[in-house]
Amino acid sequence: MPALTEIQFRFRNAVIDGDSGPVAPVLVGGRNPQKRLAIHRRNYETGLVDALLLKFPATRWLIGTPLVIEAARQFIRRHPPQAPCIAEYGAAFPDFLSKCAGAERLPYLRDFAELEWLAGQVAIAIDAMPVDPEEFSKADLKTLPDVRLTLQSGLRYLNASWPVENLLKLYLAETAPDQLELVPARVWIEVRGARGEFQLNRLDVASFTFRKCVSEGCTLGEAAERALDADADFDPGQALAALIANRFVTAVRQTAEDKFHDRL
Amino acid sequence: MVATCPRAGWLEIHPENFLANPHAAELLVELSANYPISVHTVGISVGSAGSIDRWHLKRIRGLADRIKPIFVSGHLAWSTYRNEYLNDLLPLPYTEETLRLVAAHIDEVQNTLGRPYLIENPASYVTFQFSTMNEADFLAEIVLRTGCQLLCDVSNVVVSAHNMGFDPHQYIDDFPSHAIAEMHLGGFTPEEDEATPGSEVWIDTHAAAIDRRSWDLYAYTLQRFGAKPTLIEWDNGLPSLPALLREAAYAEEIARAIPMETGHASAH
Repeated sequence: MPALTEIQFRFRNAVIDGDSGPVAPVLVGGRNPQKRLAIHRRNYETGLVDALLLKFPATRWLIGTPLVIEAARQFIRRHPPQAPCIAEYGAAFPDFLSKCAGAERLPYLRDFAELEWLAGQVAIAIDAMPVDPEEFSKADLKTLPDVRLTLQSGLRYLNASWPVENLLKLYLAETAPDQLELVPARVWIEVRGARGEFQLNRLDVASFTFRKCVSEGCTLGEAAERALDADADFDPGQALAALIANRFVTAVRQTAEDKFHDRL
Repeated sequence: MVATCPRAGWLEIHPENFLANPHAAELLVELSANYPISVHTVGISVGSAGSIDRWHLKRIRGLADRIKPIFVSGHLAWSTYRNEYLNDLLPLPYTEETLRLVAAHIDEVQNTLGRPYLIENPASYVTFQFSTMNEADFLAEIVLRTGCQLLCDVSNVVVSAHNMGFDPHQYIDDFPSHAIAEMHLGGFTPEEDEATPGSEVWIDTHAAAIDRRSWDLYAYTLQRFGAKPTLIEWDNGLPSLPALLREAAYAEEIARAIPMETGHASAH
């Protein structure tokens, strides 16, 4: 009698890889139990492929559902979910899709699918209470460069090689022209959303760099330095004021170790 | 549901649909102000040969703290191999090794949640030649070792009995009735059984109305054990809400003819 861990290893190979031979001899179910394993394999595949199709409707619109389904089937075999919350599954799919056969004709596919993924992520976020702008007015300017901010969870930043946000807006507006010439151009996109909605905002490179760095946990000083590297005319004070005015800031930390309660 | 608050005794949710979706979780908290909620997990995987996912378990505890569920339940199954989630409820051999493992995992779940966990009998398509006890005896032993409660899915009994060739009434007779806290009824979908050409295998899809054989076994089960809170599982190919509520009302009608312990049927 094989140990449970061995049985589950064989079962896993039957479900994910379709290799049902090794587990079949210990099974009961109909005259040929090996055939019944196809039910579990189908449950695995159908559930995950459907989940990916639901997350990438605009990508299906762009390249056609059959191509997305085929890519999704390959993806779930090579990258099984790492956790039971399927809402979190699929972050690596845009990159995978862009490397599938047939995708080489669509050099903007990766950026487009990535943008759609990010839009889906911010749309399920909820806004937290923003920090009162009055509190910033009391800040010690000397220590401000060492401050780190927590931004709303419904914010993502995408540096794309194609103006894919225009393409996504066409999908959303259901106004796709018969022909569209997409010209490669580096764009810096802020994806902002909450409670079922999202917006796509194109930023200049310095503002994008600043906001992205802040969202990733850099100090204001570090974020400003990188933004200035991108554009020597960047104004950190104005950029900070815009974050506050947009109600993006939900917590202020004096050091990396502070856990949100060290308000100014 | 949040906007219209239709009449329903209670609702059941899969926490995995809410843990990574703050917007949905927010709506669920609103819903919990108007309905008792039961939490039915699909990702705890008490049957995994490895350890259970403690991070996932803690997230479920966090959700439970927010919505104060009437029940927290899961399955006699496994769905995680090492760090891979297999997105299905997979069968277990019923042996002493499995018993020790499942009991230890249920202890851990109950300790983390700080409440009894309900274990549901599975819908089976295959079982294991080397099982040393039947499913009802296995469940009885699990209850004895852990103090957990049971979720008796009557439709799963109908499905498993058809697929594996046993008597569903005998299964109910053997079921450890004292531990039943909840019941499920769900639709199944017959299809050609490739394992036995010319026969059907029944798939637990939750995508159809409750079959007459499930209603009949439900009535038999209630006559034996008394009425229990009962849920209509219909979460694929969703019908209209009135159609779903009609199924729940029919379950209530059957239960009304039985001496009541608790209450009524509902739907998710």
